[in-house]
Amino acid sequence: MSSRKREPMSATTSASKVDDTEVLLHRCAGGDRMAFRLLYDRWGDRLYGLALRITRQTAPAADATQDAFVQIWQQAHRFDPERGNPEAWLIGIVRYRALDIVRRQSREVPGYEPEEIEDEAPDALARLVSTAEGAALQRCLGELEHDRRRLVVMAFVDGLSHSELAERMRVPLGTVKSWIRRSLISLRGCLAS
Amino acid sequence: MSDAPDRDLLAAEYALGSLEGEERRDAERLLAADPAFARSVGAWQQRLTPLAAHVAPVAPPADLWRRIEAGITPATATIVPFRRRVRFWQATTVGALAVAASLAAFMVLRQPEQPRVAVLSPLAGGAPVLMALAERGGGLVVRPTASISVPTDKDLELWALPQGETRPRSLGVLPPSGRTLVAQLAPNTQLLVSLEPKGGSPTGQPTGPVLYGGWLTTIELPRG
Repeated sequence: MSSRKREPMSATTSASKVDDTEVLLHRCAGGDRMAFRLLYDRWGDRLYGLALRITRQTAPAADATQDAFVQIWQQAHRFDPERGNPEAWLIGIVRYRALDIVRRQSREVPGYEPEEIEDEAPDALARLVSTAEGAALQRCLGELEHDRRRLVVMAFVDGLSHSELAERMRVPLGTVKSWIRRSLISLRGCLAS
Repeated sequence: MSDAPDRDLLAAEYALGSLEGEERRDAERLLAADPAFARSVGAWQQRLTPLAAHVAPVAPPADLWRRIEAGITPATATIVPFRRRVRFWQATTVGALAVAASLAAFMVLRQPEQPRVAVLSPLAGGAPVLMALAERGGGLVVRPTASISVPTDKDLELWALPQGETRPRSLGVLPPSGRTLVAQLAPNTQLLVSLEPKGGSPTGQPTGPVLYGGWLTTIELPRG
């Protein structure tokens, strides 16, 4: 396996971390189990946290995370750094698995009350704007009305479907769909500018 | 605003995760069939992923790495993953013998030594609810074959009771979705599942009703 010569590491922590993940994925693609373990050590907590937030129960969250890592191992050779950053790739895999699980079985968790997102929580906001993409997204989300911004964030973070969002926001399903579409159109325009 | 279908918008909704029902299935079909749509989904994934910063990391269960490792053993790459098979069985409600037979077929590829299988059924009688597969290396995979509901203030606990003994040994709490663990089990061992207080029996012996049980039996493997 020919490992291509890499650019010098960037000075910022977040960039070098992403770069490390890319190196680990590259090594996983070559069948390096030690690299896979390092990838798990680095990403296990984050991916499990995301799965838990969506499934809201530990057993399906563990299932989703397990499936995601097996898929990461098997598909590592298909990760293309030209197409995007490894963080989005890894997070995408676990989110789709978790969403698969909750969409297939309607969520019936007696007594469960999902916590409200404080969409201006300072530490979350600090993490969000710590990358250029995050800062741009935050700026563009800021152009949306408060309720619409909340819809987008809740859909992504909690994995809520259109009808779950409608129930939560106490607005008709059609309204939720149209708010989400308009918000996404607005984000698309704002992020392209 | 135009009402014409906007595929990039469907890709955005898919990446956001809010689609459900027929719309979600449409997006999945497109994702598999249309590379341009897949690129749109990927681009939206990139745009929206910073939102993941809202979610705090959580330490996964201690046995998760072992489960992942078990899922990437070299031979499994060429065969249907175990879990998917279990789902398939659940979906097709095959009988316990057919289940055991497919397990054996699966194990021919993965584990040349003779595996042992237990089908756990309600002690009061009825269809099997759990299957266990004991690998020679000490791995024990327990998976539901039917949906199990457990009261929120209770846990299931798994026990091993070797033939001739009277006190079962705890193998730990058993989530309704199943568990993979490591346990050295004597040749003739019965697996039992009891209903216990949250977190498992406080005494080290079953305190609640024993719901399910089954014997580990060796599967005869086809030759060649």
